[in-house]
Amino acid sequence: MTLVEMRNIRKYFGESRALTDFSLTVNSGELVCLLGPSGCGKTTALRILAGFERADAGTIEVDSESIGSVPVEKRNFGMVFQDYSLFPNMTARQNIEFGLKSRKVSATQRRTTIDRMLHITDLGDQADKFPHQMSGGQKQRVALARAIATSPRVLLLDEPLSALDAKVRESLREEIRHLQREVGVTTVFVTHDQQEALAIADRVGVMSNGQLEQIATPRELYQNPQNSFVAKFIGTINRIPATSRTDGLWNVLDAILTGSRAGTELEHADGGIRPEDITVSATHQESANAIIEDSSFLGPITRVKLTLNGVTTVYADLLSINATPFIPGQPVFVGVRSDLENTIIF
Amino acid sequence: MTKVFKWGFLIVLALFFVVPLLAMARFAFQSVPVALLTGETWLKGWSIDPIIAASTEPAMWTAARTSALLAVFTIILTLVLLLPLAIVTEIKAPRMRPWLTALTLLPWVVPPIALVVGVSVTFRTGAPWFLASVFSLVPFYALWAMPFTYRALDAGLQAISARTLYEAARSTGASFPTIILRVILPNMKASIVAAAALTTALVLGEFAFASLLLKETLPTFMVNFQQSQARAGLALALIILIFTALAIGIVVRTLRRRGLNVQTTGL
Repeated sequence: MTLVEMRNIRKYFGESRALTDFSLTVNSGELVCLLGPSGCGKTTALRILAGFERADAGTIEVDSESIGSVPVEKRNFGMVFQDYSLFPNMTARQNIEFGLKSRKVSATQRRTTIDRMLHITDLGDQADKFPHQMSGGQKQRVALARAIATSPRVLLLDEPLSALDAKVRESLREEIRHLQREVGVTTVFVTHDQQEALAIADRVGVMSNGQLEQIATPRELYQNPQNSFVAKFIGTINRIPATSRTDGLWNVLDAILTGSRAGTELEHADGGIRPEDITVSATHQESANAIIEDSSFLGPITRVKLTLNGVTTVYADLLSINATPFIPGQPVFVGVRSDLENTIIF
Repeated sequence: MTKVFKWGFLIVLALFFVVPLLAMARFAFQSVPVALLTGETWLKGWSIDPIIAASTEPAMWTAARTSALLAVFTIILTLVLLLPLAIVTEIKAPRMRPWLTALTLLPWVVPPIALVVGVSVTFRTGAPWFLASVFSLVPFYALWAMPFTYRALDAGLQAISARTLYEAARSTGASFPTIILRVILPNMKASIVAAAALTTALVLGEFAFASLLLKETLPTFMVNFQQSQARAGLALALIILIFTALAIGIVVRTLRRRGLNVQTTGL
């Protein structure tokens, strides 16, 4: 069921366009990530949804009810910011209580809710600490508890993990995901970190230049990117020369693939192939089509850098357990995994 | 090398401040002329009589009381005017900040003499009673303290990222007055105290306005007093200096201990 619907949102800051024609629907209980490079408009979209900015054009509906002119404090959304933004003069408990007081929740009800929040965010022993006595991860958990304590209709997270160090970031994102499922709150999460987005979102919306390029499940986004921006932005992708066949399919290396669009008569283009879909086999000089440039061991996988036909740089990710050690300068045959069917045509 | 340079620099700086103070103390509390100072005499003739002389002067207490009241009223006036302005500018119209920063500096462009003459001519025709009271100095001091007060408050707002706090509070459903009273103001305690301390220091040291408007405040009293009793006057000046420095130091330390960061950046 659709809970949030943003339609044709446009926003300018002076001369610069933040959002051109932005539309987004979020289903009830879903976690949607808005992902994109900095300046793509993702934070603006979130701030418009929250009510901190007003759209120049377009409509926002929550539960089929237009909220474009409802002020922030009446929208009943929870929000978590990048820099924690806890109230420094209040303890963790008082921070969580703040919103409940504003919503006129009774004292006993407040205590129950706070205790529950402290429990599910695992902050029981931090309850009476002030923000300056807590670590970044703890502070952000308090911020999260404060945001969901009021049972918001939608939870908005604006790069909540980017101020934290790598290890905390990873464990907290799992925690956010877990919490979101447990509470069942519809969530919009803004990030520039694709791993974060792919790891926790039900659906990821990739944005660039103030528009939504594609919104889909992480898997769909990775395997079937709709355009070259998405293909390049999510993960690594090789651009390998492709020639169209008379039947509209494409020849890429040794494979015949369906392209993201049909080829016209013997047209030349580039096909996008993920590094893990490339195969590399040692071969004789005469049947080789590539030369090993370099290979780096990354634990479970080994990434091999090759030069195809003397011009194209190709990356191949091989499972380390199968990867024969290649040496730079070695001639090899590069192909495409036999069960690959589609390619994106650039 | 840099360490040597750093320490050398610090020592020179310390001498620059401390030597005049020590000379002042010696003149005030030792009754031996410089020309007669030798290895034998440098410990002789010290006494605290000049302080007693100064503190038994009733006019001194009147002037001190006047200055203290002036400081209190000036603090109230500047805060009433500038605190809401600084807060609202920061959270509602941050683009106006550079303008306000420039604008609050304007009083320092106008020299005291021009300000006093301009104001007194205006008021003498319209409301002569205004200039009769010693408290007519309050608006002048408030104006004069504005650059410091505004910067101290603004630095405080920046330090607590007031705008994000405001947004965070709004997103939990709090009303504007609640946000100001329960979130913004409590976190500005440190910068409000800093602003007040700076205003106090300014009022306790201001001479030009008081002298031009013929009011007896602590600084004008001291200048007159020094002309009749040079040593007692200097002793008094020294005591006030130490007292003010200690008072500000204690306030800042108490705030630090309570986890509040006193920001004086931009001053």
